[in-house]
Formats: sequence, structure tokens, C-alpha cells
Amino acid sequence: MKLSQTSLSLRARLYLFSMAILTLFVVNVATHLWGSFARSESLVAYRDAAVAAQLVNDLQQGLESARQQTLVLATLRETTDEPLGDAERETATAELDTLRQRLGKLGALGGESTEDYYRRLFDSGSQLLDEWQAFYNNYNRLSSQSSVESPIQYNDTWQKLNELEQRQEALAIERSRTIDGTITLTDQITVIGFITTIAVTMLLVILLIRSTNSSLLRLKTGVQRFGSGDLSYRIDENRDAGEIQDLARTFNDMSGKLSTAIEEVNSSKADADAANAAKSMFLANVSHELRTPLNAIIGYSEMLQDELGDPGEVNREQVQHDLGTIIISGRQLLGLINEILDLSKIETGKMQINLESFQPAAHILQVCDALSPLLSQHKNTLELNLVGAEGHTMHSDPGKLQQIVTNLFSNACKFTDNGTIVVAAEISQDQLTLTVTDDGIGMTAEQQGRVFDTFVQAGATTGTKYGGTGLGLSIVKDFCAMLGGEISLTSTPDAGSCFTVTLPTIGPASNPEAA
Amino acid sequence: MTTNMSRHLLLVEDNEVNREMLQRRLQRVGYTLDCAADGQEALDKMRDVKPALVLLDINLPVKDGWTVAKEARSDSDIQDIPIIALTAHAMESDRQQALASGCRDYATKPIDFPELVIKIENLLTA
Repeated sequence: MKLSQTSLSLRARLYLFSMAILTLFVVNVATHLWGSFARSESLVAYRDAAVAAQLVNDLQQGLESARQQTLVLATLRETTDEPLGDAERETATAELDTLRQRLGKLGALGGESTEDYYRRLFDSGSQLLDEWQAFYNNYNRLSSQSSVESPIQYNDTWQKLNELEQRQEALAIERSRTIDGTITLTDQITVIGFITTIAVTMLLVILLIRSTNSSLLRLKTGVQRFGSGDLSYRIDENRDAGEIQDLARTFNDMSGKLSTAIEEVNSSKADADAANAAKSMFLANVSHELRTPLNAIIGYSEMLQDELGDPGEVNREQVQHDLGTIIISGRQLLGLINEILDLSKIETGKMQINLESFQPAAHILQVCDALSPLLSQHKNTLELNLVGAEGHTMHSDPGKLQQIVTNLFSNACKFTDNGTIVVAAEISQDQLTLTVTDDGIGMTAEQQGRVFDTFVQAGATTGTKYGGTGLGLSIVKDFCAMLGGEISLTSTPDAGSCFTVTLPTIGPASNPEAA
Repeated sequence: MTTNMSRHLLLVEDNEVNREMLQRRLQRVGYTLDCAADGQEALDKMRDVKPALVLLDINLPVKDGWTVAKEARSDSDIQDIPIIALTAHAMESDRQQALASGCRDYATKPIDFPELVIKIENLLTA
């Protein structure tokens, strides 16, 4: 049976099952009815046969009695010649009528198969009765014995009656045989049908339970597998049809959505964890960066206090230099704090853009001049190539352009030893292209991928080794975006990095929300 | 040069401002000093000068302070020279890392100068 393999809906299975049971039931009822009908048929046949036998018997007795009477009368007539009374004749006539009626009744019982026999009996019997009637009618007028009825007609009628009886008997036996056969057959059919019905019903029930069970088991397995964390598990939708397939499909839809949601939650949790780790790292780095200038400020102040307490001449030049160091360190500290504030403003979308017309070349030059002390720290030289931008004016935020140049330039100085830093700018097609190139330590592809992320530095130990908060490039990238431009990077480890900033010469009209 | 080697220190610090400041303050309280600006120079000078004590910044170019401390511990010539780590990293884990890599003591920037002197004296007289 292929029921368990074919895809039938639960409803179809139940319908099919019910139809099969109903069909079997109808067959059983039909055979039962057939058997009942055969039984009643046989009952009718036996009754008919009994009635017919009774009638034949009555008729025989009647005929015999009437014959005896006519014989007695005939003898009496011969011996006494006494006439027959009216009352006696009427009684005899009534008896003959009764016989006639019985003869008629017998005709009503016979079918086609006995018709010939009956017809012959009827003809013969009618003639006999007519003769007897005539005997009674003419009794008083008769004088001779010859007019008395002869036994020939009586014997003929008697014979015909016997023939009919025998025929009826044979027919009844034949009929009862047929009916008995039918009853046996219907009984067999009923028993076989009953047993078959039980067997088929049980088979269908088992198949229905098994197929439904296996469908439900697939669903259960799916729910269990998914529930225990196998998020990619899906139920085979094609194994079922109808409601269970719908259920499987709905479950798969739900699984898909759930696993997407879970993946999203996991990925946002990972993101949040990474952001948290980056912030902790950032705090450690900020702490480190704040402590370095503070060390100078506190150290020099304490030292000056101590030295001024010493006896002897005050070295004014020395004091002036020391105070200068304190001031520079203080400004460094301020710059750092401003950087953190900038980032906070960008993050909360409160960073303003101050648009004005300016000459970018002049501003870039100004920044490079101001930062030239950084070059000497790592014995680097600067190459400036601003020819392509000279004389051009742009309408943007000069403060942010300066900040961009400052951060890129100081980064280049920080990561390059005994090298050359090239700052180039040109304007063409309403676009400023600024490149800051160094031949320093460079970055791997993986480092390049995250170097613009907030709080992140190229290497985990970069902060320890080179200082910095991991904010500079993040701020540069945000500023570029705010001014409608972008920043890109090419770099090779141990060969250097090249940052390229492109900005439209006409800055954004409105102040967009910072990214 | 009549240097009393028992009070001669090696100061390793890449930040010029902080190096000069600490050098002057230590000289003022009676120590003599050599200075180094990166990790390799520090190891070289430890082997050449054999100072009584090393003040070692951790954020150094070429070789960082942890590497210097470890290499010094594995060099029999200089392994007994006590090292005080100086760092702007103020986490407890940094202190433990300093002690684990062979530093004898640890000072956080901004430097508490009187406390640093006490630490130096403790190690020199030990």
C-alpha cells in the first residue's frame, strides 16, 4: 500500500478512510438485505406450497365425498326409485359450488410452470362437476342406470389432480433448493464481508495512524531540533500535503524568521561586545594620553617650586623654558580633550558645519608650518605640493579641513622614522583632492579595514607603542562625510601609507546630521 | 669622572620633555644619570655602564619596556640590576605585567617624585 509514501493531506486521508469504511458497510448491508429477501422468499414459497397442498387435499376429500354421495344416490335410485327432495338437491348443488370455488382457488396459487397442469385439471374437474350437477338436476327424471355418472371422468379428474400435486411438489422442492443455495451464498458473503471489513478497517486505521504519526513525528523532530539550537534545520515540506504541509511550511517560515532574528541578536551582541571592548581600550588609552602631558605639567611645576626654593641665583632663561614646557603640555592636554569632545559631538549629531569661502592651499600650508616640530621627532622631512590648489577658492568648513590635515599629518609623522612625508593638494572639476603619503610602517589589509572605526587603532599594541586614542582617523572620516566628501587609503606593511581625501569645493548647503 | 656608581642611575624615556624633567630632578637630589631614548639603547647602556638601578619607561620605540626587562633578566651580566617600571598605564594588570617581566617596582605617571625617590632608595640599600 502506497498510502504512507504518497502525499495526501490529513483531510484527504480521513475522507478516503471514511469512504472505504462506508463502502464496506454498504456492501455488508446489501448482502444482508439480499439474504433477508431470500429468506422471506423461501418463507412465501413454503407457505404457498402448504396452502396449495391443503387445497389439493380439501379438493380430493370433497371430490371423494361428492362421488360417494352420487354413488349412494345412484344405488338408491336403482333400488327404491325414490325422488330426490329439493332441499337435498340444493345441499348437493352447494357442495358442488364449494368444490368449484376450491378448484378456482387452486388456479390462483399456480404460476406459469403449473398452468398447463391446472388447465387440464380445471377442464376435467369442470366437466366432472357439470356431469354431477346434471346428475342432480335430472335425478328425478332419470329412470335408467345409464344416466348415472360414469367413473371415467372422476378418475380422469383424480389423475389430473394428482399430476398437479406432483408438479407443485417438484416445483416447491426445486424452488426451495434454489432459495437454500441463495441463503447459503448470502450467509457466506456476509461472513466474508464482515471479516474483510474488520481486516480492511484495521489495516486502514493502522495506515492512517502510521502516516499521520510519521507526519507528526517529522514536525516534532523539526521542533525539537530547532528548539535545541539547530537553527538551520528545516522540515521536509514535500513529504506531506495539505494541512500538515502547511504546518511544516509555516514552521519553516517561522524558523527562518527566528534564526534571522537570532543571528541579528547575536551579531548585534557581538557588535555591542566589540564596541564595549573598544570603549574600555579607549578609556585606557585616554587615561594614558592624559597622563603623559600631566606628568610634564606636574613634574615641571614641582621641580620649579623646588628649584626656586634653593639658595642662589635664579636662572630666568631656564625658568622661562620650563614654563613654556608646562604651557605646551597643557595645550596638548586641551587638544586631546577637544578631540574627545569633537567625537562626542559627532556621535550625538551636534557637530556644526561653519561654511565660508577660503583658499585651501593657504590653510594646508598653515597647518604644515604649525606642525613642523613633529617632523623632527622622528627625523622626517616634508614635501609640499600645493601648486594644483593655489589660487583656488572653495566654500566649505576651513576649520574641519585643517583638522583633517592635522590628524593625517601627525599620524604620518608618528608612524614614520627617517622618512619623507608628502602633502599634496589640487583642485579640479569642483573637487579638492588632498593626499598625505608617508613611507612609514604601513598597514596590513586587515588593519586598513578597521583603522577608520571609532576607538580602534590599527594594531592592538599601537596605542601602547605609538600613543594616540584611536580617534584621529575616525574624526577625519566623519568630517569628510559631513563635508560631502570621502577618504580612502592604500597601504603596504613596512612600505608606507597613502591617505586620499576628496572634498567638493562647494560644501553641503545645510547642516546634515553627522554619521 | 668621579662618579659614585652606587648612586648612578639609567633613565630610559623616549619623551624628551619628561626625560629632561626627571633627569634634572634626580640630579638635584644627588643621583648621577645616564639616559636612553629607546629599548635597544637601554640594553646597550645597561651592559656598558652597569648602573645601580634602571628607571624604565614602558612605551618605547624599537623595543618596548617589557622586552627590555625580560632580556635584561636573561643576561647574566646585568640581571641583578634592579629595574623600576615607569608607565602612564595605570591599570592593575600593567603593574602585574611589570612585576612578571622582572621589574622590581613600578611607578605610574604622573610621577609622585618623593615616592619614586623612596622606591629607588629601598632598592639601592637592599
